[in-house]
Amino acid sequence: MTWFSTIFLKNRRFVNFGLAAILFLLITFSPNVVRPLLGNICSSIFFYPFAELKYYIIELQDASRENRLLEKQLTEASLQLEILSEAKRENQRLREVIGFDPPENFRLIPVKIVTLYQNVYPIAAVINKGSRESIKINQPVINRFGLVGKIKEVMPDFATVTLLTDPMNAVSGRVAETREIGIVRFSPDKGMYFDNLPADSDIEPNHLVISSGLGGVYPAGLSLAIVDSVTASRGDILKTVYLKPTVNFFKIDELYVLTGGEQ
Amino acid sequence: MRFIPYILYLFLLALYLTILRDITYICGAQIDLAVLMAALVALYKSEMTTFWFAVCIAIISGTPLLDLLPWEMIILVIPALIVNQISARINLESLTSRLILVAGYLLIHQAVLTLIVAGNDFFILLYKSILPTMVYTLVIGWLIFQILDGRITWKKTKALF
Repeated sequence: MTWFSTIFLKNRRFVNFGLAAILFLLITFSPNVVRPLLGNICSSIFFYPFAELKYYIIELQDASRENRLLEKQLTEASLQLEILSEAKRENQRLREVIGFDPPENFRLIPVKIVTLYQNVYPIAAVINKGSRESIKINQPVINRFGLVGKIKEVMPDFATVTLLTDPMNAVSGRVAETREIGIVRFSPDKGMYFDNLPADSDIEPNHLVISSGLGGVYPAGLSLAIVDSVTASRGDILKTVYLKPTVNFFKIDELYVLTGGEQ
Repeated sequence: MRFIPYILYLFLLALYLTILRDITYICGAQIDLAVLMAALVALYKSEMTTFWFAVCIAIISGTPLLDLLPWEMIILVIPALIVNQISARINLESLTSRLILVAGYLLIHQAVLTLIVAGNDFFILLYKSILPTMVYTLVIGWLIFQILDGRITWKKTKALF
């Protein structure tokens, strides 16, 4: 063995080159045995772990992309569901409205609110129809619960509705049960109240107040409010009647303009 | 123990060929990491280390296309030995001389490989692929030399920001 190690150490360079040459010849002239074997060993040791890592990363990316896609689809489905729910509610409301008979000579123009002008209370609303749809100033605006307001300004495609919650907008009202007449007003501190009602009036809580038809703007019989409380002190000439509007002005959406009454 | 860094280099090459090459690919130019690694070893290490490292590099590089394995061995090992021989005779302090050696190695590797794979389109690939790859690899090589020479250090980089 000594002579072998001596030869190896003395001719180390040539031994190395010789080994490499043998390897080269094996690789070159054994394309079906040595080359695939070497490739297999190299692939399994060096490439396979990184290929696995690469596919793992790709899978993670795909999962992330799929997750985003599913989230988007879920959002779309939720939105769809909300739209359908809204359509269901609208359908229900319309079914209720079908039972509503517009006053004689009036016809209903359905409108939608574009925007609300709100200052503590909503006091005005812009609707999506205007003069092109025969909307005119002072036409009453209602919803399925009762009177909402009247048209204040008209534009070609839009109109402004002044709501009953506007302190400047007073309506002549009548107590449905007692037929007494007064003025329905709104103030931000008192809320809706019935003005000009004599102290000897028979009005009681839960009585319905409807429009009287006096003044020529609003037709008679539209629901305005329910009597909330009645107070009258000794010696007072007028009763203080607080009302609860039949329309929730914070939740108005679909409105109807009553047209044709002026004819 | 002295083989461990070289084995890690081989793993780095495999990592590059498997994952990083696609990421670092820019308009036809890719880093010829096999040549860069072989050249670095050829410049700074002994002949036998260069020789066997180049053989291993060639085997790793040729594994994805086994038909080219013998060619890879020739065009990686022989220039590596030439670079190793020249590096003993030139001033290794000079960055330019090192870059010229790397550039020559790159040109031989890229040109021969392109001639073998797509000889008919050699001149089109020369400016579309070979030269951009050379420039890209040389830029990376220049950065590595700067780091090896201590011109780019963590402290200096940190001081910039």
